[in-house]
Amino acid sequence: MKPAPFEYSRPESLNEALSLLAGDEVRPIAGGQSLVPLLALRLVTPKRLVDLSRLIELRGIKVESDGIRIGALTRWCEILSDARLGEHHPLLREAVRHTAHYQIRNRGTVGGSCCHADPAAEMPAIAVTCAAEFEVMSLRGRRIIAAREFFRSVFTTALEPDELLISIRLPTWRPERRYGFQELARRQGDFALAGCALYWDEAGGCCRDPHVGVFGVAETAIRVPQIEAALEDRKITDEIIRSVARTIRDVTAPPTDLHATSAYRSAVLAVLLERALRASLHDPSHHD
Amino acid sequence: MDDTTRTLAFIVNGRPVELSVDPARRLSEVLREDLGLTGTKIGCHAGDCGACTILVAGRQVCACLMAAGQAANQEVVTVEGLAEDGQLNALQRAFLRHGAAQCGICTPGMLMAATDLLRRNPSPTEAEAQAAIGGVLCRCTGYRQIVAAIRDATSAPVDQPADAQAVGSRIVRLDGPDKVAGKAKYGADLWPTDALSLRIVRSPYARARFVLGDLPAFRARYPAIVAILTAQDIPDNRFSIVPDLKDQPALAVEQVRFRGEAVLCLVGEHDALAAIPEADVPITWFPHQPLTEPEQALTATGDLIHEFAPENVLCRGRVVRGDAAAALRASAHVAQAEGRTQYIEHAYIEPEAGYAEVFSDANGERLRIFACTQTPYMDREEIARMLKLPDDRVHIVPSAMGGGFGGKLDIAIQPLIAVAAWKLKRPVRHTYSRSESMISTTKRHPARIRARIGCDAHGLLTAIDFAADFNTGAYASFGSTVANRVPVHASGPYAVPAVRALTRAVFTNNAVAGAFRGFGVPQSVVITETLIDELAEAAGIDRLEFRYRNALRAGQVTATGQRLTASAGLAECLQRLRPAWTQALADRRQFNGDPGRATSPLRRGVGIACMWYGIGVTVFANPSTMVGALRRNGRLFLYNGAQEIGQGTATIMPQIFADAVGLPLALVDQVMGDTDLTADAGKSSASRQTFISGNAAKFAGEALRRELLKLIGASQRARLALQGTVLLADEGARELRLDLAQLPADEHGDVARGEGYFNPPTVPLDANGQGVPYASYAFGAQIAELEVDRELGTVRLIRIHAAHDVGRAINPTLVEGQIYGGIAQGIGFALMEEYVSGRTDNLHDYLIPTSGDVPPISIHLIEDGDPLGPYGAKGVGEPSLIPTAPAILNAIYDAVGIRLTSIPATPARIRAALARSPV
Ligand SMILES: Cc1cc2nc3c(=O)[nH]c(=O)nc-3n(C[C@H](O)[C@H](O)[C@H](O)COP(=O)(O)OP(=O)(O)OC[C@H]3O[C@@H](n4cnc5c(N)ncnc54)[C@H](O)[C@@H]3O)c2cc1C
Ligand code: FES
Ligand code: FES
Repeated sequence: MKPAPFEYSRPESLNEALSLLAGDEVRPIAGGQSLVPLLALRLVTPKRLVDLSRLIELRGIKVESDGIRIGALTRWCEILSDARLGEHHPLLREAVRHTAHYQIRNRGTVGGSCCHADPAAEMPAIAVTCAAEFEVMSLRGRRIIAAREFFRSVFTTALEPDELLISIRLPTWRPERRYGFQELARRQGDFALAGCALYWDEAGGCCRDPHVGVFGVAETAIRVPQIEAALEDRKITDEIIRSVARTIRDVTAPPTDLHATSAYRSAVLAVLLERALRASLHDPSHHD
Repeated sequence: MDDTTRTLAFIVNGRPVELSVDPARRLSEVLREDLGLTGTKIGCHAGDCGACTILVAGRQVCACLMAAGQAANQEVVTVEGLAEDGQLNALQRAFLRHGAAQCGICTPGMLMAATDLLRRNPSPTEAEAQAAIGGVLCRCTGYRQIVAAIRDATSAPVDQPADAQAVGSRIVRLDGPDKVAGKAKYGADLWPTDALSLRIVRSPYARARFVLGDLPAFRARYPAIVAILTAQDIPDNRFSIVPDLKDQPALAVEQVRFRGEAVLCLVGEHDALAAIPEADVPITWFPHQPLTEPEQALTATGDLIHEFAPENVLCRGRVVRGDAAAALRASAHVAQAEGRTQYIEHAYIEPEAGYAEVFSDANGERLRIFACTQTPYMDREEIARMLKLPDDRVHIVPSAMGGGFGGKLDIAIQPLIAVAAWKLKRPVRHTYSRSESMISTTKRHPARIRARIGCDAHGLLTAIDFAADFNTGAYASFGSTVANRVPVHASGPYAVPAVRALTRAVFTNNAVAGAFRGFGVPQSVVITETLIDELAEAAGIDRLEFRYRNALRAGQVTATGQRLTASAGLAECLQRLRPAWTQALADRRQFNGDPGRATSPLRRGVGIACMWYGIGVTVFANPSTMVGALRRNGRLFLYNGAQEIGQGTATIMPQIFADAVGLPLALVDQVMGDTDLTADAGKSSASRQTFISGNAAKFAGEALRRELLKLIGASQRARLALQGTVLLADEGARELRLDLAQLPADEHGDVARGEGYFNPPTVPLDANGQGVPYASYAFGAQIAELEVDRELGTVRLIRIHAAHDVGRAINPTLVEGQIYGGIAQGIGFALMEEYVSGRTDNLHDYLIPTSGDVPPISIHLIEDGDPLGPYGAKGVGEPSLIPTAPAILNAIYDAVGIRLTSIPATPARIRAALARSPV
């Protein structure tokens, strides 16, 4: 099936883009990897498409004093080939290795993924886990939205229709940081049935400021404060790992769908959490 | 800068191109429809199959996921742009050498993905090559030969073994160059420019009555509709692949029997039809309670899906020999199980496509259909009957075939494009969308199987008592074929004195189950081969050895009372696998026994399974005719009716024919499948083409040779050769010469012709299934080595070893290709595939193996020649798939001690079974 006819603009400047977005029933298009099929199936029927590809303001990864700033138009392949991230955000790199296949990674963008807000997608999970900030603009002005507020539910974000996601800031990655990332997908490159991203800072053999995020198991990726509390200031032992793996089953209620039942997701999530924690115990220099 | 169409500039394959197009259209469509670059294929339109992979700005992307506007001013490279100086490039040549293209529909996407990789990394590892093509699905090859080709994209040329004997050598497939160049024309790749399209309105209900509303008013409201077809427009609105039960309407009459059944067909311009809201189509539905499971259908007294099928049973199959019940009672060990398999989708990457047009020739007004098909002659018969035309008024021109596996035996788009074109006297084309293809075409039968097998204290099999119900869906299709084939094979490839095997094919309100590689046999071995393992364990005999002792050998009698006289190579297959088996068992013992792994969730296992398979149609005549000629221009010509579906008949038949004539293969030209030119060589199904049509090709070659010897006046011993148009016969003492250019020729330029015919000798089965159902059987055995993650329930395959008795490998590369591909489908069947109408009608919810899911495969070809086969050959297309799933299930048991009888063995099922198991 072909998309319903609509107008197509490719603005040269951010301002032009924002003006276009202020119109009725307008949709931005980034990589198009999620949007093009929706348009073709007429599940989305905008009057105008605004192609973001010329907006240099939305491009590139910057390492700044308060973290890394990832332009919304940054493609997965750019993250994977950016050697700086080995030091500045190894967790992000690890997660993106699990995102889709080559073709999709060559087109799909960080911004598109976050705005699409698939509950099983890796990038939103990293954003939530790392307490990212979303920089958003419209003709009405600029605002910063915290990750936990950005993702509202399945395929739903806090963006207004006239707003554009400009960039995502992930707070500074500290050298003493330990991390783990685990997901289970039926085939390589498929969306995850369940997954877990976590990190903590090592201080005297103990776990400081743990961030534990899970995805594919709720309407959005979520952090799990009960587990973070259980890990805070503790030494991560086998016993702790087993105990939090039990906790996760009590504090999450994954959905049942075509690919997995709630019970299976829940069981698998506990295993993934356990494995992510174990992986985080290894020296970070061994991860790459 | 705002329009719905505007001029866009691209650089396509190095040439600047300007086009006035809607920038929101998919780039894939612009390439194919506007630029005629049909080398880029469409398998799903959703990013799932990668058939549309091209390079944009040097990187592989899915052309179907890009709006044309997004590619503006960029460099685009398609498969048509790979050739260098008009010659195939190194990668394309490597694909040919390695047999990496079978049906070839995925080949352009594979080549483009690999090109991207090789530019970044000229010598990739196996893992890197696998990952690079991870987003491109192939249903034919199992990926192994593709990965090998990518890693061997060297300057090596493609050498065809010259003059030497063609049979037995690794001839590069003759249809290969067009496939790797993107030139082969599949169903969707050719269409008359003025062709109209269809929009087929389908039932949203599995079972319902319906009333059509005011169609003239509907048509008046939408000028885009050129015509509306209903059941009444089809002169004889019934079809079925089997001759005696035409039960399926092309457009439903008053009631629908499965979700997705066609009820109405709109004809017009594609995009304009697509814009008509479904809700405006005037149909009132009266849904009924559907009968979804065979159990329900069997007991739904008086609630019949078809009037002609009491108890909703389409057909019963039966083979009884000896007293199985008594023999089981007397057995030292008895194992029993009940299990289930699910609906399996063929998932060929090419959705059904083609066009129909009306034309005139000396015979008057005729109808031509260009479409993908496995059976051109049956299409002709069926369409002629449905349109009430004489057979010779219909001309079938098969397109290149982007995969079939049984799914393109039943007609699909053909009747509706035919009726529309005939009625409107205008060409009409149609291409199924992925979901239309999945909901409306046939599937593998889901099965419920119960079996008890016994053996004596020495481990010799005594009896099997087997019963299976096959869910045949809403219409007959190949249901009776499955019900009849399975009982013959129920005993497995073993000598079993007492057999009782009963089957039923049961109608339900589900997708039509039809032919799929193996016709029910792959389902039944899922249970029987696991029972063989249990008996081996009970008898304390090694699992391979147990099978070896029981293997059917030449001289022994099958369950139908047929004495095998030759070519029963199972024992040899098992012997060849012994070293790998011993090694694999030792490896897994060491892995599992490693004290460092005491707490590891990983456990390794090794499994084995065997198969046999009757070649050709069960009992019924299934002849092939082939015609070959020598032309005045000094070339041989094969009128090849054995439809190429990726399996290699376009190569095998000329090989056999050339050797039979005694002239080099390089001299052979051919036409494939065209019903005006070729003779009927039957269906490309039941693994029959090499054996049956191969014999016909051999006989045609021999007949032509006799004809030529007569023409030139030479004796049988003479060696033939051609020098330009001069035929030479070397008799040692003297050399005879004949200039063909001087001879009278027919309208094709043929100066001499030879015809060959073969119909395998069979004896009808009696009421107890006793007789000779097949003239020849293929045998095989496979070993699976794998690792189970006990916590996640996942399975990682480590290696598969396959030994197949193929009689004679006419072309070892092609045979191996069939084995790799069959195993990949077996892996999908065992571990991931499960079709649920309305839920998995796409290639992201219906999972088939990707490049990362197929482990290394070692192949052993056993050539226990069949005296009946051409040069000893049998068949291999279906056999390769059959043992894979039970070998995997047996390996899972070996690893973690659970027996899964319901497949696919998904991580969730494995985990649940582990949770239940006592250890
Ligand atoms: C076969 C396949 C497999 C995939 N597998 C995975 C996977 O395993 N994991 C995963 O995470 N993803 C996966 N994806 C999704 C992929 O990562 C996409 O890249 C991503 O979802 C969307 O990115 P995009 O740039 O293509 O966005 P688009 O399709 O262009 O846009 C997506 C949505 O975001 C909006 N949008 C885009 N950019 C902006 C912006 N800057 N501001 C406001 N709104 C914006 C669009 O209007 C649209 O609604 C897969 C996709 C496919 C086709
Ligand atoms: S057609 Fe583009 S991915 Fe299938
Ligand atoms: S050769 Fe790959 S799909 Fe047929």
